[in-house]
Amino acid sequence: MKHLMGMALGATLATAAQAQETVVWWDFLSGGDGVRMKTLIDDFDAAHEGEITIDATTLEWGVPFYTKVQTSVAVGEAPDIMTYHASRIPLAVSQGLLQPITDADWEQMGLGQENFAEATWNAVTVDGQQYAVPLDTHPIVLYYNRDLLKEAGRLNDDGTPMGLDSREGFEETMAALKDAGVEYPLGSVTADGNFMYRTIYSLMGQQDGELLTDGEFLAGDNADKLQNVLTVLQEWTNNEWQSTYTDYPATVALFTSGEAAMMINGVWEVPTMKDLADEGRLFDWGAVELPVIFDHASTYADSHAFAIPANNGVDEGTAKRDAVLEVMSWISDNSLFWATAGHIPANSGVTASEEYSQMEPNATYSSLTQNMIFDPQSEFSGVAGPMFDVMSTYFVPTLNGEMDPAEAVEEIQYELNDM
Amino acid sequence: MIRNARKDTLIAYVLIAPFVAIYGLIFVYPTIDMFILSFQDAPLITFGPQTAEWTGLDNYTRLPGDRRFDTAFWNTAYFVLLSVVPGTLVALAISLGITRLSGRLQSLVLALFFLPYILPVSVVYRIWDWTLNFQFGIAMHLFDTLGIDRVPIFKTSTWFMPAVAFVTIWWTCGFSILLFLAGLRAIPAEIYEAAELDNAGRWTVFRKLTWPLLWPVTALVLTIQLILQLKIFDQVYLFSIGGRPNDNLVMVYYIYQRAFQNDDGGRAAAIAVVLFLMVIVVSVLNFQLLRLAERKT
Repeated sequence: MKHLMGMALGATLATAAQAQETVVWWDFLSGGDGVRMKTLIDDFDAAHEGEITIDATTLEWGVPFYTKVQTSVAVGEAPDIMTYHASRIPLAVSQGLLQPITDADWEQMGLGQENFAEATWNAVTVDGQQYAVPLDTHPIVLYYNRDLLKEAGRLNDDGTPMGLDSREGFEETMAALKDAGVEYPLGSVTADGNFMYRTIYSLMGQQDGELLTDGEFLAGDNADKLQNVLTVLQEWTNNEWQSTYTDYPATVALFTSGEAAMMINGVWEVPTMKDLADEGRLFDWGAVELPVIFDHASTYADSHAFAIPANNGVDEGTAKRDAVLEVMSWISDNSLFWATAGHIPANSGVTASEEYSQMEPNATYSSLTQNMIFDPQSEFSGVAGPMFDVMSTYFVPTLNGEMDPAEAVEEIQYELNDM
Repeated sequence: MIRNARKDTLIAYVLIAPFVAIYGLIFVYPTIDMFILSFQDAPLITFGPQTAEWTGLDNYTRLPGDRRFDTAFWNTAYFVLLSVVPGTLVALAISLGITRLSGRLQSLVLALFFLPYILPVSVVYRIWDWTLNFQFGIAMHLFDTLGIDRVPIFKTSTWFMPAVAFVTIWWTCGFSILLFLAGLRAIPAEIYEAAELDNAGRWTVFRKLTWPLLWPVTALVLTIQLILQLKIFDQVYLFSIGGRPNDNLVMVYYIYQRAFQNDDGGRAAAIAVVLFLMVIVVSVLNFQLLRLAERKT
């Protein structure tokens, strides 16, 4: 007992002597992302020794994370700072889970609207008020196998695939690959409608289609635009150009093993490819912006952002708030390293830097920042949200040729508006 | 010795008090709260801008017209049909086989059949996904060799429920086997000897002796299975992730969707109340019917 008290006393004295702020941090970043974030946190701690230290915990991605945030905010036990998906911010705001990031906060951080792409800034804004500081944008891209494309005669001199500018061109590339004996010209996550949502939403964006207009889902010709997308994708299945009933890990495996020549996937798989290539176990690979299948380029993106939970005592004017703002601004300024996880840093100062322009394949696909579209701002959207489940249920049978696209669209429309 | 009845009662109360307190706090109180919540338009957690409003029976009256509730209800019924009686019969058959063995071999075989039961559901999911995955599952390579077309088992609504029921039986029948074995060992050997003297055939022995004498255990297994399978969630959830969740809904899955994904605490509570009543009605009915059957034999 005496010993314990001594320890407690020692701890109190140490804190008092250093006046060090401990920032409690929650994130959902595991895998390659998580390792890189831990390095960033260590670097931050080292740079702020004696002033601020981060006490980080990684929780389960998706519904478990967001449910825990909701309960912890309600009982006043939320962390000081947490990662958040921009797509989930409208729901979070309606639930009163986030503190606004005020003008004074932005000023203190030395950041503002001018540092972010418009779409990214809008994604963290609800009714003219910002609720998070974007760290990155993580769109989907087209990964490709240069060796196989070269064999099929569909590789440009600059090392990119041919036919990225039109539906005909891209289909020609897939047909050529098939003729060259490639089992799957395109590896698609056809068993996971949640994932395919990202591709399908991108292709809707290529026709200026919108999911939600004035509180109604798929109003007007938006339903037709969704149907166009599903029809194209189903044709690819019927022509045996893309893998069927393939789940996420299987898709990555098909691509890395050379059975699929191209793959549409998130930029977060860049570390996987890099690591394999460094070990000499991968072909010559690259990643580019999605092909233009319809009218113009457009890519689905979401953003990892930092948010301050409500009801946690990190109020304006407190030393804790200063520490939290320092964490957000320091990590934003040093997010070049975060780009090695494949993500595009949200801070335009970082992406404009000389070092970033040397980084491959990030530099090749970072042009898509101009063509990004985010989820519709709705309480139903966001990763692991209810909209995902409705879509997924009908995407899977349609993409694998079991259900007619028109029927799928009708069902999706009914269920979305019935949520 | 003279016993002080009042003191005894007092001691009894003191001894059960901790249990009653905990039971009240974590079971009775939430149950009452669930009933209250089911009459409100309430979020999962009432906090900040979110408040609860009384809406009377609204959460209940909208259920018959709710397509997802409809799917969940019939899928649950279908799953119970596919798993309860078949699961019990499989366990009975296996335990009849095991009783014929003896010594170490019996223990070994019993252990093998019991092994899946100790696995957590996440491991069960991994094993079967590894086996039945459309692209890389080992069963698919077997299909290829035999010249059968590959079947995306967990991605089509035709195969989903039967497959999950099969996996569930594989996973949980170990426990039922144990119950049956205990029941079989409780039947005195003399009865079988007497039957043998009377030249009774194997089928007759089973039909006239084993089956009726084992009936109380069978009834118990059926009741346990029924309650358990009405509450099915984990396997369905894991096998549906990313696939066709809204086609595969079962009651508890729909409660989860409403509560945790749609943030509709009130509507989730109403579905939970319906499930609660279903479990009570079905299990009481089941128990009474089984008792009736017992009297007849």
